[in-house]
Amino acid sequence: MSKKKNINHIPLDTSEKAAEIIAYVVLGILSLLAILPCLHVVSKGLSDGNAVTAGAIYFWPVKPQLETVNYVLTKSGFFNALKNTLIITVVGTAISMLTTVTTAYPLSRADFKGRGFISLLYVISMVFFGGIIPAYMVVRTIGILDTYWACILPFAIVQFNMFIVKNYFEGLPDEVEESAAIDGANDLRTLISIILPMSIPVLATVALLYAINYWNNYFHAMMYTSSSSMRTMQLYLYDIINNASALAESLYSTSHQGQNFAKNLTTEGMVAAAVSMSIIPIVLAYPFVQRYMIQGITVGSVKG
Amino acid sequence: MKKLVSLLLVAVMMFAVMATASAELLGPGNVTLKRLGYTCPWDVNADYMVPIMKEATGYDVEYFALPAEKADDKLFSEVSGGADYDVVNMGVNQWRTLLANGALLPLTDLLNEYGKDILAGNTEEVWNALKGDDGEIYGVPYMFPHSQEINSFLVCRKDLLEKAGVTELPKTITEFYNMLKQLKEFYGDEYIIMTGPLVSASEGIVGSWRLPRCITSAFGIFSDWMIDDEGKVIYQTEHPKFAEMIEFFNKLHNEGLIDSEWAANKETDIQEKFVSGRAIIVTGSRALVNFTTAPMLDNGVIATIDDLCYINPLHGDDGTCKFMESEGFNQISAVLKNSKHPEDAINWINKKVQEQLFICIGVEGVHFNYDENGQIAPINPIFANERGDSYYYIDCTNAADYQFQWPSRIRKSAGQWHAFSATTLALEDTSIIAKNFLKFMPASEAYANSNATLFNMLQDFIMQAMDGVRTVNDIPALEKELANEDLEDVRAELQAYYDGLAK
Repeated sequence: MSKKKNINHIPLDTSEKAAEIIAYVVLGILSLLAILPCLHVVSKGLSDGNAVTAGAIYFWPVKPQLETVNYVLTKSGFFNALKNTLIITVVGTAISMLTTVTTAYPLSRADFKGRGFISLLYVISMVFFGGIIPAYMVVRTIGILDTYWACILPFAIVQFNMFIVKNYFEGLPDEVEESAAIDGANDLRTLISIILPMSIPVLATVALLYAINYWNNYFHAMMYTSSSSMRTMQLYLYDIINNASALAESLYSTSHQGQNFAKNLTTEGMVAAAVSMSIIPIVLAYPFVQRYMIQGITVGSVKG
Repeated sequence: MKKLVSLLLVAVMMFAVMATASAELLGPGNVTLKRLGYTCPWDVNADYMVPIMKEATGYDVEYFALPAEKADDKLFSEVSGGADYDVVNMGVNQWRTLLANGALLPLTDLLNEYGKDILAGNTEEVWNALKGDDGEIYGVPYMFPHSQEINSFLVCRKDLLEKAGVTELPKTITEFYNMLKQLKEFYGDEYIIMTGPLVSASEGIVGSWRLPRCITSAFGIFSDWMIDDEGKVIYQTEHPKFAEMIEFFNKLHNEGLIDSEWAANKETDIQEKFVSGRAIIVTGSRALVNFTTAPMLDNGVIATIDDLCYINPLHGDDGTCKFMESEGFNQISAVLKNSKHPEDAINWINKKVQEQLFICIGVEGVHFNYDENGQIAPINPIFANERGDSYYYIDCTNAADYQFQWPSRIRKSAGQWHAFSATTLALEDTSIIAKNFLKFMPASEAYANSNATLFNMLQDFIMQAMDGVRTVNDIPALEKELANEDLEDVRAELQAYYDGLAK
C-alpha cells in the first residue's frame, strides 16, 4: 500500500520540530511511568513462585506459569465476585436511572406544585446523613441484608445526579413539550419520546457516574453483605490482598511434600494476579465510555 | 461515633434481653447455627472442613466471615443492628468492646449445663480473665497453641557461616557480635550480613513487634512494659539496660553488620534478600521460613535444608536472658444476646472440644501416626489437604491437649518443622521464658487510648537506632515525648492491675 502524500502538509521549522521531539520524549517517559508498574504487576502474577519470592521480577515474567492465575480465577471466588459486581452494576444503574429520570422530570416542571419543598427534602438528605448504624438497621429491617438489593436500593437515587438531570431538563425549550402536548402526548409519552431522546448526553454521563459508583462501592457492600457468595469485586480484592499471606502460608506449607501444585502460589503473586484480572473488565469497557467520563468531569460545572 | 455505637448497642441489647428465645436445647439436626468469624481467605461455607465439622458434631452451621478491612466497624454495626449470630469468634479487643456494651450473653450456667469439656479444658486463671464485673463468664477461650514458643529467632546460612570459619553458633551477645564481625571481615560487602526486621502478622500477641526479640533478650528486655525486682511497673526505656541495647544497635549499624535498609524493609523485602542469597542471616519466625526455605532449595541457594541453622534468644555476658511467653488469648468466642440458640451454641462448641483430635489432626493411620517419641507425625499430603484449614473452625480448645497436638500442624511443612525443632523444641533452659503480666488484663481506659501510640514511638526509636539516626543521647527526648503521651496514666493503671494480681 503506497503512502498518500498529504498535500496540505506544512513543513515544521526547526524549533517546532524540536518541540515536537521534546513532547514525544516527555510523553513517552510519562507513558512508561504509567505502563511499567502495570507490567510489573502482571509479570509477577505470571511468574514462577520462587522467582517472585526472590524478588527477581521486573517487567517481564520469569519462568512463566499460569497456576497463579488459574488459582485466582477458579479457586478464589473471582468469577463469583465479578458476577455479583456486574449484576449490581447493571441492575443498579438501570434502577437508578429510572428513579432519577422519573424524579427529575416532574421536579423540572414549573407547574408541578410543591416542587420547591420536595427539592428541599432532597437537598437536606444530600447534606445530612442519618449514620451508618441507622442505615444498617433500615436495611436489616426491610429484610434485604446479604442480598443484591442491599447493594442497590440504598443508592437507587443519588441526589446530586438527580439535580444534574433536573437542571438539564429545565434547560430544554418549553416549546418542544408544548408541541408534544398539542399532538396529544401525555406526560409519560412526552418524557419517553421527546425529553429522553433530547437528553442522551446527560443521561449517558449520569449512567456512567452511577455505574462507577456501583462498581467501586466497597464500604456498603462490606456492611450489608456477610456471606462469601455475596462478595463483590471490591470486597474480594480487599480480602485477597489482606489475606494472601495467610492463604499462601496455608497452601505453601503443603508444597515440597510430594505435591507441588501450590509452590507458585506466593503472597505477592496471588495479589498481582488478582489485581491484574480485576482490571481487565475496566480496560475492556474504558474505550467505549471514555468520552462520557470526560463529560462527567465537566457535567457539574457552571455554564457560562 | 463511639458514644453513638455504645448507646445503640445498649438499646438493642435491652430489647434483645426481653426478646431472647426461651432456653431449650434442640440438639444436632434440629437447628442451624450461625457462626461469625474473623476474615478468611477462602469461602468459609465451601471449605472441606464444613462436612468434617458436621460429621464431628452433628450440627448444621452457617458460617460468616468478617471482612479484612474495617472488621470492627462491620462487627459493631451488625451487633448494634440486631444481628443474631449464635457464636462470634473474635479478637480480644472486639470481645472487650462487646462485653462493655452489654452485647454478650452470660455463659456460666450454659457452660455448667452443656459445656463441661470446655470448662475442663482451660485453667481457672483463664476463666477468671473471661468474667465480667458481675462474675459471669462471657466468652470461651481459644488459647495460643504453645505457651513457650520461640517465635522470634535468627535464621542463618550455615554453609556461608562455615565458609567464613564460624563453626559454632553464638549463645551470648558478645559471641554473636564477634560472629558478625568475622562474617563482615570475610565477606566484606559481598553479602548483607544480617537483615530484618522480623515483620509478621502471625506472631500472636507480639504480632506488631518489629524488634529483634532474640537479641533484646540478652539485655533482659522482652516487652514494652515489664516488672522490676521491686514489683514496680517499668516501661522499656526505663530498663537499666535499655541504653546499652541502643548502643549495641548503633554499633551494629555503624560497623555495617546489619542491613542498611533495616528500618525500611517490609516482610517481602527480607524474604527476597534471604531467598535470593543476598543475606546471610535474617530475623525470622515460623511464618518466614515457611515461605523462604523451599524456594531457597528450589533456586539452589542452599543444597539441603541442613544448610540452614537457627540462633535461639541470646544471653547476655552475665547470663541474662528473658524471652516473653506466648501464652495468651488467640481468639475468644462468645454468644450474642440476640442468639436464638445459645444452648445449642455451647453444646456445639463442647462437641468440638470433645472431637478436638479428629477435627484438628484427623484419624490415626489416615492423617497421622505417632512417631517413636510418641509425638504426632502428620501423613502428607492428606493431612494438609483434609485438616490444613481446621484452625479457622475452632472456637475453643482443651489447651493442654492442643499444646501436644498442635506441633504436628507445623510438621506438615518441612521448613517450619526444621526451624521449630531447632528453636522451641531444642530450648534447654525454659527459665528464660518471662511471664507476660498483661496477658489477661481487662480493658482499661488509658492503656486503650495511649499504649499503641507509646509503643509506636518506642518502636520507631529503636528502628531509627538500628538505622544509626538515634543514639543514647536521644533517650531523654524520647522519654519526654512518651511522658506527653500519658505514659504515667498507663503506668498507674498497669501498676494497680499488677498489685491486684500480686495479692
